[in-house]
This record gives sequence, C-alpha cells and structure tokens, in this order.
Amino acid sequence: MSTPILSVKNLTVNFGGFTAVDDLSFNLYPGQKLAIVGESGSGKSVSALTIMQLVTLGTRAEIAEGEILFTKSDGSVIDLLKTSEADMRKIRGNDIAMIFQEPLTSLNPVFTTGDQVVEAVQLHQGLDRDAAQARALEMFERVRIPRPEKVLNDFPHQLSGGMRQRVMIAMALSCDPRVLIADEPTTALDVTIQAQILGLMRELQKDTGSAVMMITHDMGVVAEFADDIVVMRNSKLVEQGSVLDIFSKPQARYTQALLAAVPQLGSMTGEDNPRRFDLIEVPEDRK
Amino acid sequence: MTPLLEIRDLSRTYRLKEGGKVHALEHVSLTLGRAETLAIVGESGCGKSTLANLTCRLDTPNTGEILLDGADITKLGPREMRAHRRKMQMIFQDPFASLDPRRTVGFAVGEPLIVNGLMCKGPELDETVAALFERVGLLREHMQQFPHQFSGGQRQRICIARALALKPELVIADESVSALDVSVQAQVINLMMELQEEMQLSYLFITHDLAVVERMAHRVAVMYLGQVVELGTRRAIFENPQHSYTKRLLDAAPIADPRQRRERSLLTGDIPSPVWADGEAPERVSMREVSDGHFVAIEH
Repeated sequence: MSTPILSVKNLTVNFGGFTAVDDLSFNLYPGQKLAIVGESGSGKSVSALTIMQLVTLGTRAEIAEGEILFTKSDGSVIDLLKTSEADMRKIRGNDIAMIFQEPLTSLNPVFTTGDQVVEAVQLHQGLDRDAAQARALEMFERVRIPRPEKVLNDFPHQLSGGMRQRVMIAMALSCDPRVLIADEPTTALDVTIQAQILGLMRELQKDTGSAVMMITHDMGVVAEFADDIVVMRNSKLVEQGSVLDIFSKPQARYTQALLAAVPQLGSMTGEDNPRRFDLIEVPEDRK
Repeated sequence: MTPLLEIRDLSRTYRLKEGGKVHALEHVSLTLGRAETLAIVGESGCGKSTLANLTCRLDTPNTGEILLDGADITKLGPREMRAHRRKMQMIFQDPFASLDPRRTVGFAVGEPLIVNGLMCKGPELDETVAALFERVGLLREHMQQFPHQFSGGQRQRICIARALALKPELVIADESVSALDVSVQAQVINLMMELQEEMQLSYLFITHDLAVVERMAHRVAVMYLGQVVELGTRRAIFENPQHSYTKRLLDAAPIADPRQRRERSLLTGDIPSPVWADGEAPERVSMREVSDGHFVAIEH
C-alpha cells in the first residue's frame, strides 16, 4: 500500500483526569474514504479536532502522547502535534479542510456566503479578489447550488440547511485540500437532503481524489459512504477494517452489539407485525 | 368498534407577522386503533409535530375534530379537558429539556398522580413510583437523584415512566428516540414495544427515521407540506409505496448494509415552503384507496 497521507500513532488526549482519546492509532491513505464510528463520548470528535490542532484552544485538553504524521504535497512528513500555530494556519483549510455538523453555526452570519469562500481562497491560494470570486462561483456550481450567482450574495440565514451545507462543502473544497474531515456532515439534515449531500460528497471525492475522514454515529451513512471503518468506544479503538468486513463479520463484541441495534431498512420485508431488536449485551469496560 | 383516536379534517394555519400564513396542517384525517402504533413520517416542516401538539391540545386547530374514545376534545374547556388528558401522555424528543433540573426524578414521575388527585405524597405514592421505575429498567434507588445524574437513555426511561404513571391509553411520542445513541435507541424501542403489549398502549409515533418506523409501526402515515399523502399498513407503505414522495423518502433513507449501496441522485430539490399569501391556500388533495386500508393522494 502507498504511504498514508495522515497517520495517527498512539494518540492520547486528556481533559483533566478524563481520557477522551486513549492510545488511538490509524492511517488515512490518499483517496480513501474512512469513517470513524462511535456513540456519544466515544472520542471520535476529539480525535478530529486533535488532528486539526483545534482541541487545545480554550479547553483543558492536553495531548499526553502520540504523533500525527501528515505527508505534505512535496512528500515531506511533519508531525502536526509539533507544528507551530502559524504553520498550522497554512495547513488548515488548505491541505486539511473540515466540515462541521451544524452549518449555521460554522458560517459567519454577518458576511455573505460568497465573501466567506472568497476570503478562504484569497488567504490560502493567494488569488486576487476577481480570481477568488470566479473560484467561489465555480465551487458553488460544482456543489450544485441552484442560481449560484445569487447565493454568493446571500447571507447564511437566507439559505436552507441543505444549501448551507453545500456552501460549507464548497468552502472546504475551494483550496483543493488533500484531506477532508467531515464531522457528522449530514446529521442535522432531512433525509432527502442528506441523500443529496452524501451523493455530492461521493462524487466530489471521486473527482478530486482527496482523502475523506468522516465522523459519524449513523451506520446507515457509513454503509453508504465509507471504504473503511474505525470503530471507537469509550475513547478507544475497538475494531477497524473494510466496510464490507465489519458489516458482514464484525469481530469485536461491541461492534456486533452496535450492528444488532441498528434498524435496517428492508429487514422487515414480509413481516406483518413489528419486531423487537435482538440485542447483545456488552459489559462496560470503563473504570 | 370505535378507534381510540379519530382525527377528522384537521387544519391549522399560523399567521406570519410579515403577512401570509403557514399552512402547517391541511385537512388531515387519521385513525389510531387500540394497542396500535401509527407512525407519522415526514421531513422538517411537514406538520408532524403540529399534529402531535393539536392531538394533545397543546394547540388548538382552526377546523376539524379530534375524537378520543368517541368524544370530540377540540371544543372542551380546560377543566373538562383534564379528565381526557389523563388518557393521553407525551414523550418528547429531548430528555434533557423535558425534566425539571431542580426536582428529583422520583418527584417528576409521581407528580402527575398528585396533580390529578389520584394519590397524595406518602408511602403509597413512593411504592407506585418505585414500581414504575423498575418497569422501565431503572432502580428504586434512582428516585432520589436529579436529572443531571442520568444519561440520555436513562432520562428517556424516566420520561416514559412519567408518561405511564396515569395509565394512559394513548402515548404521543414526538421524535422520542431520535436523540439517543443507536444502542440505547434500540433498548428504548424494545421497552416501548414491551409496554405496548403489556398495557395495550396506542402510540402516535412521530419521526423522520424510516428504519425505526419499519421496525415498530403497525400503520404509517406519510406527510408532506401539511397533508397526508399516503396512509396504510407498514407493509403496504414499505413494500408497495405508491406516492412519489413516499418513494423519494424511501430511496433517500440510508441502508445500513454496504452491499446495498445505491447511486444517489445529485438533485438539489429543497422542500417547498408551506407559507402562502393571504387568500391563497394549497390545493386540497383527494385520496384514493388502492387496496384495503391503503390510501394514496392523487397526483397530477
């Protein structure tokens, strides 16, 4: 296999006495669609924020151990945990971009959507304003925003949730990042809109070849989108493998229990009456 | 036999300050039988929560009737309503917001019994509450604790215990399991299904999650822009959907099985707005019965 673009090694993150991420290791390869799956409090979002070096900003978080190796476009490898804030700023948004769950809170309410994309492009790509405007329009067309010239001049509150998430994706992809981290990108959206956004992300990923790390609790979204899965529980990695392997023959008892609890559309075909879940008990391993 | 709940031609509009009206609910008619689960599915703004709020009279319809055990409750005053309200209880989406943070959860579960004058504070009430706690899978010792000491799933169990305190016939569950983690969600769904069998409860189960509906509903109503566009047994809706919107919803729902991955359309259709100018209103749909009990809105 090729060299990973991102390699998380033995990462441990503490919040005071609480270990939010415990000895986590995984690789992300160029062009890979990797899902980090887990329930609330499993440490999946903290892992993402740590990669972006956003976790220690204004929190008590402390990175106790580990390294996060990132292969830059020139082939050199750096440890993001040892990278200065000034250098991180050049990487964030440019090499590694992020999409969050709630597009309304991630967009600035007092600037038009166009201005926000233009700002990102100008900062990272060094384009002049006209070129950045053209790039923003091109990105809006690419994420299939209807009437993109108009939406460029709209404020976030004027858009629906689905359109806002398209703007976020346009912004995230505007600088051709090699890694896209998407933290629950479809969770706040209606199901028909979710399907559109997932389809869009899949197609854009195919076009750009960037690696995508998707954080989600939704096994339906994972099954639709990911090539590979990392399952987390209580701050630890439980199991990792290809999406087909994990869904068809999960090894860890927790993964088995998790999948047994997922309602699967179509699983009740031919049955007249509702049926309970056959749940698997897993003992809590947290002290 | 009269159904437990019969909703006839129910409509609700909300006037906007800037002019025009939100047509939240448009001529909705439904029935819910005893010990039956009717799922109301649809996306944001389709009127499903308005329907829940009207049904338990947290809100008043513009027109239409709501018959509970054959009696129209839309015209009752607060005092007369109280006797009926006992028969129906609600479980909400967010178990963090629906419990008073300064009261013990034991008090929260016992309060409906006191308010309705069925019991006074004392050993009898404590025993009843303890039995409810045990029934929903909590411990008697939990009664003295406060909401913040519980996880989301435990809190939803407390809300279920509170809803059951008055031995209701109808439980209105508005996105009651949507905020829960998947393993906890499955446990709560199992609990709700067990309680249904034991107590012959009827659920008006409001959700956007089709996979959950397929698991627990007997009948399904699909709503779109304030109207019911398809109504039928769970099997009719899932195995033989007729309306284009039902098909679209089913196509969009992610399937938790990577072998069934489908190509996604890249359409950008947002749901149209339910806001209409004064004097205008959406066209009223008429339904046709495609098979026994399976109704579909006629599309043009």
